[in-house]
Amino acid sequence: MTTGEPESNVPPVELTVFSGPLDLLMHLIRKNEVSIYDIPIVSICDQYHAHLRAMQELDLDIAGDFLWMASWLLHLKSKMLLPSVVESDEDPRDELVERLLAYRRVKELASYLHDSDIVRRCLWTADVETKISSPAEPELDWEDVDLRLLAQTYLEVMQRFEASHPPPIEVLPLRYKVEEKMTDIYQQVNTDGLVPLLRHLNSRSDPEEVVTVIVAALELVRLRGVFVEQRKAFAEIYLRPGDRQLSAKELLRHGENSG
Amino acid sequence: MDRETLTASIEAILLTANGPVAVVALVEALDDEDVGAEKVNDALTSMVDSWDRPDSGIRLEKVADGWRCVTPAALDSYLRSYHGIAARQRLSQAALEVLAIIAHRQPVTLPEINFIRGANSASVVRTLLDRKLLRMAGRKKVVGKPFLYRTSKEFLVHFGLERPEDLPDPEQLVRDETVPAE
Repeated sequence: MTTGEPESNVPPVELTVFSGPLDLLMHLIRKNEVSIYDIPIVSICDQYHAHLRAMQELDLDIAGDFLWMASWLLHLKSKMLLPSVVESDEDPRDELVERLLAYRRVKELASYLHDSDIVRRCLWTADVETKISSPAEPELDWEDVDLRLLAQTYLEVMQRFEASHPPPIEVLPLRYKVEEKMTDIYQQVNTDGLVPLLRHLNSRSDPEEVVTVIVAALELVRLRGVFVEQRKAFAEIYLRPGDRQLSAKELLRHGENSG
Repeated sequence: MDRETLTASIEAILLTANGPVAVVALVEALDDEDVGAEKVNDALTSMVDSWDRPDSGIRLEKVADGWRCVTPAALDSYLRSYHGIAARQRLSQAALEVLAIIAHRQPVTLPEINFIRGANSASVVRTLLDRKLLRMAGRKKVVGKPFLYRTSKEFLVHFGLERPEDLPDPEQLVRDETVPAE
């Protein structure tokens, strides 16, 4: 009655599709009837690799996850075979066991969901279209439609269109250059010794210039060409010479980078 | 409102509602001083029993914190035949595993799901999101700020659960299955 499985190194090809490397490992553990807590790594590792080879022969696309597990198993196998230098209570298989246990819980829950899905997908509910709340479009009598109404409708449609399509924002070319402002501030600081930044900013009326000055000042601080100080919050911010001499070339180059 | 009208109106609302109806929504719709949550619950409980007969094609069930009308599973083949639906798409093993992980550990990130499954689950998660069985639940405050996932209300409705916590304990399932090895 039994044909008896041929004893060979090549595992019989199974067309089970494993959902991942852990799924394949669980399958091998179950097939070999071994305990998760005491996995014969050498034999399981060999079988795992034989499986991968069989999958390759079948031209199945093997995901990287399977290969990653294969190398981990090889690593564990070498650890199990090599005599350990240090006496240790730790089993190299501990992490694998933990992950397999976690995965087994997932598989159990998945199989519960599967069974539940089989029954639950057979339930039907009423398919009521709830359009009652939205009133139907008011209908017009054909005689009431004249050219004036048509023109008015056209204008309304165009207004709606324009409202939902605002004109694009126009980007104007920059009128102030960070490198110019850097040079200005740097020279002023070096001649005056102390420059009140806030007063300087307040005297400008163009917000674009204000922004450029702030960026230029920050850039000078970053290059250590200028230092800033402020006695307390909201007080005047003073710029004074920093501890580095900046060449005109440097000012120009850094200004370009930040502009 | 008398008992008959109460039962009849609940039945009518549930029959025409779009999805499960919460008890508070029923109380509000009935709008009667004498009808509170307790009376509605009483009516619903007795309706469950009175509908559960072999000669009835409708059942009352409580899912996702609400009540809804469904057909008994046994009538599925007749309904499929009438609506001309041959077979329905099954959830793949990978999809079931991802659902199980999220249902059990939510909120959870994709890297966490990948680690537990030992396999990349990005496309499965996307499919489940498309099927509305999952929902996004913000981002985890760790490096990379990965998205957090939770099961959706549709998940509860589909699997007939009132709350996510109603899923069985996987430890218990494992213990039930494994006969002592030694």
